[in-house]
Amino acid sequence: MSKRIVIVGGGVGGTMLANQLAGKLYPEILRGEVSIALLSNSPDHFYKPAFMYVAFNLFFQEELKRAERSLLRPEITFNVEEVTRFDFPGQRLKTRSGKVYDYDFLVIATGCVPAPERIEGLKEAGDHFYQYEPARQLAQRLSTIEKGRIFITVSFPQTPNVPHQCGIAPVETTLMLDDFLRRRGVRDKVEIIYTYPTTAQLLRNCLFLQRPTGEILPSIFEQKNIRFQRGFTLKRVDPDKKIAYSEEGDEQSFDILMATPPIRAVDAVLESGASQAPNHEGWLPTNHETLQVYGLENVYVIGDTVDLPVSKAGGACHNQAPVIANNIAAEIRLGTTIAVYDGRVQAVAQMGLNAGMPLWYDYQHDVLPTPPTKLGGLLRHGFNRGLYWAVARGML
Amino acid sequence: MDLSNESISPAISPVLNALMEKLKPLIDGGRLDNLVDLLSLVSDLVDLLDPPMVEKLAVLFENATATTWSVSNAIRTAKADSTKSEQPPGVYQLLKLLREPDTRRGVGFALKTLNVIGRQL
Ligand SMILES: Cc1cc2nc3c(=O)[nH]c(=O)nc-3n(C[C@H](O)[C@H](O)[C@H](O)COP(=O)(O)OP(=O)(O)OC[C@H]3O[C@@H](n4cnc5c(N)ncnc54)[C@H](O)[C@@H]3O)c2cc1C
Repeated sequence: MSKRIVIVGGGVGGTMLANQLAGKLYPEILRGEVSIALLSNSPDHFYKPAFMYVAFNLFFQEELKRAERSLLRPEITFNVEEVTRFDFPGQRLKTRSGKVYDYDFLVIATGCVPAPERIEGLKEAGDHFYQYEPARQLAQRLSTIEKGRIFITVSFPQTPNVPHQCGIAPVETTLMLDDFLRRRGVRDKVEIIYTYPTTAQLLRNCLFLQRPTGEILPSIFEQKNIRFQRGFTLKRVDPDKKIAYSEEGDEQSFDILMATPPIRAVDAVLESGASQAPNHEGWLPTNHETLQVYGLENVYVIGDTVDLPVSKAGGACHNQAPVIANNIAAEIRLGTTIAVYDGRVQAVAQMGLNAGMPLWYDYQHDVLPTPPTKLGGLLRHGFNRGLYWAVARGML
Repeated sequence: MDLSNESISPAISPVLNALMEKLKPLIDGGRLDNLVDLLSLVSDLVDLLDPPMVEKLAVLFENATATTWSVSNAIRTAKADSTKSEQPPGVYQLLKLLREPDTRRGVGFALKTLNVIGRQL
């Protein structure tokens, strides 16, 4: 009987993987022995990192999305369906429209969502750039502030050793903010304070979640007159007084609170019962080598929904997709998995509005920071504006 | 610039020596000049590139790769379907294919493409 592979989620992880699977299993697809279906709750695919640029008026909404169908090989069936229930023992899914999908292999690629409501007052008083609408609101505030105080906070998941989304984003946006306010000519009247919580994965009292990068940040920030503070774990915000309170007992006033908010898995994953992550965060227990979900049969997970210590980033999906494609192909052809994920993530960090810093790391190695360059900035720009779509199609 | 050994700190000199050894064959053959010229050219190109130009190149890249990708997808899939049966399709089968919405969309697309090419002639 034909093996049905169902991928849930049409973000970068699900899309790249579907295309790579279609290539890898092409002979079986031709013989009618394998079918691949991708279900997503949106007909559109969003290049999420562009939301960061939206906050600085550098990307239009029309430029950061494409029709998901246009990014998928024709061998893949694509249906716009929101999965509402996973029935793992029965190997089937239910969707909001009432349809039922049976699977032989399932890949969960539903990403994560910001959850500012999990910190008192943050939703009302804070701003963030992790979705389009909030990023537009932040852009309006950043384009009009004339003087005052922009306070930056970072909240980590409470699940031990799991990072927030895209580890370098708070540093990137702090440096972009500095450039942006200089361009506007108001930087000398606006104070920027970058803060980091006491616990950042395995590190304590640092400025970044990896030591080598954390150690060069003070000199970068000092050159740009950006103030920084360790040990500020956001606990609560008073929207009326515009004060942020920390777990450590500090309180700080702000005019704009630019926060990296708490995150969680999507509802269907939270309610699936497959996660034991604390604080109802929903990360799936992931085999760090095969990317299978522990405790479930024939279920894999890619991207932001994993509970791995690596960055929740497209650059992680890029290295996870080939591992899952090879493992599913090997399970079908050889009855066993063969590929191992080494934790590799690569990216070009946007260090200010013009400079870029290519970087990579894995389970064994931290990022070795290099001086940001103009060429790095142009590479990042080219990736944002064109290369990304070839990556999503599985061409790069 | 004085590159004599005395003016270079002891820590750097082994590095410089190793580098010079590597470069020697290039210098002897006069080929290093070409490489230096090439580096200058690359550097000039980087100076000439500005974000709007990179954006245009990136969009061009996306258009080119997306078009190549859809055409090669179409050819691969059509080839797989057409070679499935030994017999060429009969007239009735062709008509049936013409009735399929995907075919009509594809034919419409091909005609529209010709139409727009015509408009630009
Ligand atoms: C501001 C910002 C900046 C970033 N910068 C970078 C960067 O510079 N470099 C980098 O590598 N990464 C960056 N990232 C991270 C990167 O965007 C994510 O890690 C990546 O999108 C995760 O991919 P994913 O496939 O796991 O999830 P997503 O891309 O979030 O996709 C999830 C998909 O699942 C669908 N879905 C959700 N629930 C359901 C359901 N119940 N049923 C069906 N479908 C569902 C959604 O519609 C979506 O299509 C950034 C992210 C943000 C927000």
